[in-house]
Amino acid sequence: MTKSTNTEKVIAAVSAIDQGPKVLKTYMETCVKCGTCAEVCPVYYGKPEQRFNPAWRSDLVRSIYRKYNTTVGKVFGGLAGARAPDDNEAEKWADYFYECTGCRRCAVYCPFGIDNSVITRKGRAVVDTLGFTPPTMQKVIEVSLKTGNTDGATPQAFKASIDFLEEEMRDEHGVDIKIPVDVVGAEYFYVPPSGDVMVNPEATTGVAKVFHVLGMQDKWTMSSHYFDGANYGLFTGNDAHMKADNKPYVEEAKRLGCKVMLMGECGHAYRIMKRMMEAGKWWGDLPFKIMNCMEFTAEKIQQGKLQFDKSKNPQPVTYHDPCNFGRSCDIIEEPRVILQASCTDFREMTPNRGENWCCGGGAGLSAMDSIKEFRMSVSGKKKVEQIRATGAQYVAAACSNCKRQLTQLSEYHKTGVAVGGVHDMLSRAILINGKAAERKDFTG
Amino acid sequence: MSALQLLVGVVLPFVAVLVFVVGMAYRFRVWFKTPQPAKMTLTPAPKGSLAGAVLAETMFFPSLFKGDRVLWLFSWFFHVTLALIALGHIRVVTGLADAILISMGMTAENVDQMSSISGGAAGIVILATGALLLARRFVVARVREISGTGDFLALLLLLTIIFTGNMMRFGAEHFDLGQTRAWVHSLLTLSPTVPANGTFLVHALLAQLLFIYIPFSKILHFGGIFFTQALVKRS
Repeated sequence: MTKSTNTEKVIAAVSAIDQGPKVLKTYMETCVKCGTCAEVCPVYYGKPEQRFNPAWRSDLVRSIYRKYNTTVGKVFGGLAGARAPDDNEAEKWADYFYECTGCRRCAVYCPFGIDNSVITRKGRAVVDTLGFTPPTMQKVIEVSLKTGNTDGATPQAFKASIDFLEEEMRDEHGVDIKIPVDVVGAEYFYVPPSGDVMVNPEATTGVAKVFHVLGMQDKWTMSSHYFDGANYGLFTGNDAHMKADNKPYVEEAKRLGCKVMLMGECGHAYRIMKRMMEAGKWWGDLPFKIMNCMEFTAEKIQQGKLQFDKSKNPQPVTYHDPCNFGRSCDIIEEPRVILQASCTDFREMTPNRGENWCCGGGAGLSAMDSIKEFRMSVSGKKKVEQIRATGAQYVAAACSNCKRQLTQLSEYHKTGVAVGGVHDMLSRAILINGKAAERKDFTG
Repeated sequence: MSALQLLVGVVLPFVAVLVFVVGMAYRFRVWFKTPQPAKMTLTPAPKGSLAGAVLAETMFFPSLFKGDRVLWLFSWFFHVTLALIALGHIRVVTGLADAILISMGMTAENVDQMSSISGGAAGIVILATGALLLARRFVVARVREISGTGDFLALLLLLTIIFTGNMMRFGAEHFDLGQTRAWVHSLLTLSPTVPANGTFLVHALLAQLLFIYIPFSKILHFGGIFFTQALVKRS
């Protein structure tokens, strides 16, 4: 591929902004360069340099847009902040746009509500078009499109994991607690991130215990083929991949005949299902509802249907609002209801909810070991300070990416803070036949 | 009639109004029509109506208040004063405002006095806050490193208009409402009579250039805010 065709592709992709979406189009013409985004950005906080200034990064796209799509840009060029792309524009963007965590915190404080993550995603889409997507991300996409999950696990491996989890729960409670698989006609189809089956499975045992206590063990199911809501198409900016990754889940939900697609503790998966796929009617009207498992459980707790032994979680616990739940999906109070019901000492970090600071690994960065140093000392700097200030020994995050980043931060900065999910804490404290799980000590 | 009078008093008014109206209408139409399939609401979403939330943002800048209080102070006073000055300019084009105030019991002298005091104060406040906004672009690193020609140009243009406006209030060449009203009226009847006040002509020239510049510049943000804020505030 020659340099000039690469440049032409960059120009074509940026010029296409005129076709929408509206967020992108209006952001090209509304920024006043006031610098407020930098003031509230976790990356810029970690290292206040021009390269990490959100408005500067967004201007990489805006300046090319001006050059080819606006009158002043065409006539006045550089004076109007317009420029042609470099020969290796997309290669540079592969670094710059993977230094934004897409957390949308800038949009909360921007006087115009400009969401720089939208421009970041466009930048990454351009990078992807030219084949410069970072190898880690590219690999995850390929595996996910091929196998239906980002771990590349087979249905056999999945079933083995489920068997293991059922055994664990039998050990904990002395009764059979089922995790139904591939049950056609089940009311709820549970779609967690695969991490909550393979890596940190306590969230999934928590959900299983909730259904068990409610006497709904026959009313839910998982799928042995589609058990991972994670969708890296959101992160690489590739809409075709995002939709291709999403479609089999909707079809599986239809095949199973579920009434509710119950999304797990994965912010971006829930956001894609609820705010993009459903709202944008990618596959037309749906015969099922989409809700999150934390909404489901919190409602049952508030109805008094679940009981807990809080003494099983005696350590100070705080909640980290994952950006996609807190700022983009309004799943905010539900995790708090669950944690307050199952923990002795729940503490808020400051700020929280829609104003929470990103873990520093958002928009897929968490998976990239190539930028670990950046994630630990720049983008995650504020998060470490914030968690330290709470004095918590356990930080709950309803997101596999946050959990990976937070765990690494804890090790790197030697804070000794344990990291896990929300249903994890529920799983340790929920009463089954009047008794909580008999297990090893989790507090260490 | 001098060339400047002809340009500022006869040609530009029509050009400026045309470019501004057509330019803004075009922008609004495009912004309105561009599709937005995904829901981009920032949560927790505002409790009241969408219109209320967007209006609050345009009137009081609450998001900015949370993000950067110093900038909020400068920019809120700058914009509010700008809006008041725009309102005050109704007196420049028509005697209607005077007539209403007089019918409410004020004397013509009272109206002039009130205008002098409030207009004079507004002129000073906006010059000061505008200068602070400009200084900020040089002094604060995170703003300096993202500032371009357009950012300085817009502010300098506004500040020059403000300065010449203040000259007509505090300087030797005071404005003459009778003449400006006659001029505006003469434009509507297509028989222009243009004031000869030099400061006025420079002030009006720059103001009209500003209106022509707006649809192509960052000052578009006064229209864009309704769209961008609605996108993240709709529940």
